[in-house]
Amino acid sequence: MAFSKHNFRSNTLPAMTMAGPVTLWLAFFVAIPLIYVFIMSFCSIDEAYNVVFKFTTANYQRLFDPNYVQIYGTSLIVAFLTTAICIIIGYPFSFLIARTTSKYKALLYMLIIIPFWTNSLIRIYGWRTFLGTNGWLNTILTTLHITSEPVQFLFNRGATVLGMVYCLFPFMVLPLYTAIEKLDKSLLEASSDLGAKGPSTFIRVILPLTMSGIFSGSIMVFIPSLGYFFVADILGGGNSDVIGNLIERQFQSGNNWPLGAALSIILILITLLLVKLYQKAGGDMESLGV
Amino acid sequence: MKKYLLKSMSMLAAASVAALSLSLVSCGGSSGNNGELNIFTWTEYVPQSVIDKFEAETGIKCNVSTFSSNEDMLAKVRSEDEGAYDLIQPSDYMVEQMASQGMLEEIDTSKLTNLSNIGSEFLNPSYDPGNKYSVPYLGGVEAIAVNTDMIKDTITSYDDLFNPAYAGQEVVLDDFRAIIGMTAKSLGYSMSTTDRTELDEIKSKLLSFKPNVALFDSDSPKSALISGECALASVWSAEVALAMDEVPSIEVVYPDEGAYLFVDNWSIPKGAKNVDGAMQFINFMLDAENMSMVLEEFPYMCPNAKAVELMGEEYASNKAKNPPAEVIEKGEYIKNLDTETLAIYDQMWTELKK
Repeated sequence: MAFSKHNFRSNTLPAMTMAGPVTLWLAFFVAIPLIYVFIMSFCSIDEAYNVVFKFTTANYQRLFDPNYVQIYGTSLIVAFLTTAICIIIGYPFSFLIARTTSKYKALLYMLIIIPFWTNSLIRIYGWRTFLGTNGWLNTILTTLHITSEPVQFLFNRGATVLGMVYCLFPFMVLPLYTAIEKLDKSLLEASSDLGAKGPSTFIRVILPLTMSGIFSGSIMVFIPSLGYFFVADILGGGNSDVIGNLIERQFQSGNNWPLGAALSIILILITLLLVKLYQKAGGDMESLGV
Repeated sequence: MKKYLLKSMSMLAAASVAALSLSLVSCGGSSGNNGELNIFTWTEYVPQSVIDKFEAETGIKCNVSTFSSNEDMLAKVRSEDEGAYDLIQPSDYMVEQMASQGMLEEIDTSKLTNLSNIGSEFLNPSYDPGNKYSVPYLGGVEAIAVNTDMIKDTITSYDDLFNPAYAGQEVVLDDFRAIIGMTAKSLGYSMSTTDRTELDEIKSKLLSFKPNVALFDSDSPKSALISGECALASVWSAEVALAMDEVPSIEVVYPDEGAYLFVDNWSIPKGAKNVDGAMQFINFMLDAENMSMVLEEFPYMCPNAKAVELMGEEYASNKAKNPPAEVIEKGEYIKNLDTETLAIYDQMWTELKK
């Protein structure tokens, strides 16, 4: 009795007080809502658009509508392009701030963090003002006689990708920064001692060692870009929907919550699949922040 | 020891029961008929100055919360306890839907002394015959805007917007009922048609419209007009009015086919706790002077003819701010669709926007 009481106070109680709140939090705000979404995806709606608990798989059948499938495709292409561009721009940038010995290192790091303090919706509207036909960029181009007529930069898929890259860039840079920061300088010296030139060192030493950063950055950019419907709306002009738009529409004007729930389940499945692939490729779950 | 525990536990239980009943009593007291009014309105639609004036005149405290779509509002009213709101603002088709589900209280219009301020074209509407459940507040028309500096042709109809010559020059509402409805009207059909062959025809015309649309925007379509990004628009009349104030070459056109019309209304949800206060508020909002205060801030189409009169000649003669009566008479309100038809609408909209 005395022993078990001791055990309770030294083991169970601390574990409960520490893990308890987090567990409750996760249960209430993650697990229960997810179960709710899952259940709703099998529900029906009545003639007045009320959700009724009548089992149906019709919502899942509608997911195979050719238009929907095409939008999943578009959405994956947008997400893929966004991720690729983020890697191409983010890698040199992360390398620079991670390896620099300059006193401005902290400042460079802050340059990535500070835009986070402003709502992304507002920053996306900022891009619209900047890129508009009467915007700054066109004013500069026409004043310098680079173009005679204002160029329409907005309302196409390119503008959507640009907005996504802009919003999600920090999610690529931060894991890359961590991975590059961890790189042991002596390994680079060893590589050079063994006669490897710059490019060869990069491909055979640096890249494999920072692959975990690329993987986790890619996951963190790819997944949100499937759902960022407001970027597709504001910069894409609503001309090329992503999966997020489909979900939003069913909860708003389409007024079919069960179908919206089924679409959300698809998004969750894509996410799980990617995370699984990431794990299979040897990715570290901790660097995803989960 | 055990006894002590039991005793303390029962005391605790008694205390919590007492506390609970006390809180219930106080809760009942505050939300009862003691001069509080819970109003649920569209965002950016009822100015605070008008609410303040009502509070000062009547001593009724108003708690205002807002929504941004009819469907949001409906979901909220359904999920809250009955009596959470005393006054709501459903649009035309939503009045019909909520009334048919028994979600609205009947309004005794004989108590509304200011009802005669409403223009006759807005009374006894098709969505609520006899104004049994609703009193009109503000509304709008899906109007055409033309920048005459950029478009030299004469535009007179929704059908003109489908001309392939205007590729990439148009901004339209990001609203499937508005755009599918406009397409239906351009073919001479109802905006809420359920006829499958008509819908097939509407669909192919709708898909041919895609190259003309530079931008789908419901939030601020006037921006694309003002900046000159778009020369043509099919958007709410109030947006056209604001664009016209900025750019003199923009004109408003009401389509020959008859326009998409909407009116937002005051309604009292079933089980409202302060029906008297709600009726007072509706009557207050029907007063011409109070309504003109609203128009100063939000120049939507105003069913209150006396309030428009108070705004002066310039306002009354501005066709975008004050659509002519024949536009209202020729206009059409959208109707609720059955779930199967809505799915067809939704599918063609998805195909347009992919």
